[in-house]
Amino acid sequence: MAKDNKQKSFLERMGESQVWKSIIRSGVPHTRRQRMHAILGSVFLHLHPARLPKHAVKVGYTWCMGGLSFFLFVVLTITGILLMFYYRPTVEYAYTDIIDLTEQVPLGMMRELHRWGAHAMVLTVWLHMLRVFMTGSYKPPREFNWGVGVLLMTMTMFLSFTGYLLPWDQLAIWAVTVGTNMARAHPFIGHEGPGASLLAIGDINLVHMGSDVRFALLGGRFVGEATLLRFYVLHCIAVPFIMMIFLAVHFWRIRKDGGISGPL
Amino acid sequence: MIETFKSVIDTLSAPTVSFTLLTLLTPLIFPPTDWFDKLNRKLGIWRLWTKPGLWAGMGFITFFFIVGYFDPNFNITLTKPDNFPIVLMVYSMFFFIWLGMKKAYINDDRLAEGLKPEEYNDPDDKVLVWPDLVYIEFISLILFMVFLIVWSILVAAPLEEPANPASTPNPSKAPWYFLGLQEMLVYFDPWLAGIVFPMFIIFGMMAIPYIDTNPKGDGYYSFKERRIGIFIFMYGWLILWLFLIVIGTFFRGPNWNFFGPFEYWDPHKVVPLNNVNLSEYLWVKMLSTGLPTNIMLREFMGFLVVFAYMFVFPILLAKTWLKDLFEKIGPIRYTTLMLFGLSMFSLPIKMYLRWFFNLKYIIAIPEWFFNI
Amino acid sequence: MSEEKITPTASVGTSTQNSENGKEMGRRGFFKWLSLGWIAFAGATGGFFTVMIRFLFPNVLFEPPQTLKIGFPNDYATNTVDIRYKKSFNIWVVRDEESIFALSTVCTHLGCTPNWLRTEGKFKCPCHGSGFRMTGINFEGPAPRPLERYKVSLSNDGQILVDKTKSFKWEKGEWENSESFLVV
Repeated sequence: MAKDNKQKSFLERMGESQVWKSIIRSGVPHTRRQRMHAILGSVFLHLHPARLPKHAVKVGYTWCMGGLSFFLFVVLTITGILLMFYYRPTVEYAYTDIIDLTEQVPLGMMRELHRWGAHAMVLTVWLHMLRVFMTGSYKPPREFNWGVGVLLMTMTMFLSFTGYLLPWDQLAIWAVTVGTNMARAHPFIGHEGPGASLLAIGDINLVHMGSDVRFALLGGRFVGEATLLRFYVLHCIAVPFIMMIFLAVHFWRIRKDGGISGPL
Repeated sequence: MIETFKSVIDTLSAPTVSFTLLTLLTPLIFPPTDWFDKLNRKLGIWRLWTKPGLWAGMGFITFFFIVGYFDPNFNITLTKPDNFPIVLMVYSMFFFIWLGMKKAYINDDRLAEGLKPEEYNDPDDKVLVWPDLVYIEFISLILFMVFLIVWSILVAAPLEEPANPASTPNPSKAPWYFLGLQEMLVYFDPWLAGIVFPMFIIFGMMAIPYIDTNPKGDGYYSFKERRIGIFIFMYGWLILWLFLIVIGTFFRGPNWNFFGPFEYWDPHKVVPLNNVNLSEYLWVKMLSTGLPTNIMLREFMGFLVVFAYMFVFPILLAKTWLKDLFEKIGPIRYTTLMLFGLSMFSLPIKMYLRWFFNLKYIIAIPEWFFNI
Repeated sequence: MSEEKITPTASVGTSTQNSENGKEMGRRGFFKWLSLGWIAFAGATGGFFTVMIRFLFPNVLFEPPQTLKIGFPNDYATNTVDIRYKKSFNIWVVRDEESIFALSTVCTHLGCTPNWLRTEGKFKCPCHGSGFRMTGINFEGPAPRPLERYKVSLSNDGQILVDKTKSFKWEKGEWENSESFLVV
């Protein structure tokens, strides 16, 4: 460093302090080498490669939709955790808690952020898929990652579905009624699905209203208290947990499959 | 003037008209063969992917929504909180398909001249992620967050009346992104529309990279090199998914009847919907006998039709029209393609059978919960 | 340890030191134990997952009572659909020329609650447009089969007793069953 200590700005001096360096590992990155090191040395940023082909940083090529989808996933996780502080998943309280969230809780916008964020995430995920299709990026060697992406999209939709049940309003109860009645018609394991009557020992049906897949989903024969709790757990814990695993695979495979797609 | 526009849109929005028009338009917009391509050039549809095309499309969408907003009937549908993000969907889908296709056309021209695609850069000439990418991500993230916060301030999140197990709202609609599935449920039984087809959509999409063996167009926008693939995908995506969402959101009213977007939602609108099964057509209407008591005999016609469609038809295709394809991709890929492809096209087929012949089921065995 | 005496197939080192009873475990014995181990592992894993799935099915349900007295037969006029118990008990009480029966208010398509349109003489489902006649027979829209009927009987005090635990399906010919209607 040719500069004298006095000539350095506050930021520069902070960047060279022991505390800063211990956290960021590299100082303020000036040289090409330091900049690459800044990416490689950070657990968050090292999802990226250190260097990229030029087209990969053009918004016109990537539309930034995958990144925004992940960003929305984070936003939804944070707002979701905050909402959980106030929401009780019972038939008695669910609806009033939602009203309280808008009217009594400071910054009553949190539910809006969560709900509209979810709508936006469905859109960004669809657009991301459209971009990947239009650029033919699902072609070898990225076939597997496209499949993981399809599953992630399905999980996004399933999270939306389990999410809008929670306010326990008219939309919620009828959506869960219709949605779980589809499970009733599941071939073989739904009691009104084709083939279910084949699974019987003599006159005793093995698949009936109290033993089919819908029963497991509802936690009972009718939509009620147990259903709300089950969907709450699915929405807050089970599906996000699985989704995070798939997200990790998705991101890791982008790097392993040769980084962002591009013409050869 | 406005009234004429509204009545024209109302007439066009009848599913028989709009769905047919869009189905016919898709191969012209995304021409899968030379013949369609010629027609596309002749009719000037390619101009859609130029700047004037963008403005025309955006202008039309905006005009439609502005007229809709000030129309007392459409306003109710449009401003329902769970519906209105569909406005964003319409705009963004149009814009991004436009963007992708514009870039694809530019690349097509470059490739025709023997140049590399626009996205191509010297592999040794890379940029650093810090700062070039990190900053772009940071900026787009902030802009998007601002957008989301403004949206959340302006529009309250949807909340309907408290749950009431005794009264179903009329019409009872899911949020916009599920209305394509809900529309499918009208034409197929829940075990198909609710379980099998969603599975097929998921697995069919996952199968795309394994079926599409065309090595070209990997990593850059292009159309000509992979036009058949793009055409099939766009038909499924635009018509069978997005347009069904539009139908479900804007054109379905009380009692799940069809209404034009500017039409008044009359809950007492009487629509004769006497649906008839194929077996009833055969035994009662044609042969004038009662339905046979033997289930298999009663439904043998339906089984025959489904069997022919799903199993005989693909074999015939493999021997004639799709012979080249069959030889190129082999029997396993071909079977997969046919399974998912024919299932996909069974949706519009069933829709038309319902609209024109009031056909309810091709195979109707409610005794076994087996209806197709 | 295997009881059989097996000749060692490979002599690597002095393996006799390791076995306590001085017998060597040969290749056969090793595979025997290996397969036994794997079978035990698969069994335990399978058992665990079975129990895990069983965990999703509760033994005790907290659900409202399924029988209700709905008044005397003369309370219901001929050729009418009574919607009084739709909200509280999810049934319509229908009286035609000969009989009284209780129809389930659950649409056979996907479980929405249809509305009784008196002027048009039909039940119409708002979710996907299924229509049912007064008898419960489906005639339009996607519903695959007629509405279900519940068991009706006369109780000792002369009131009609509806039992929702027993339902009768038309497509199985169960409407012929004398428990599915009340002759008046």
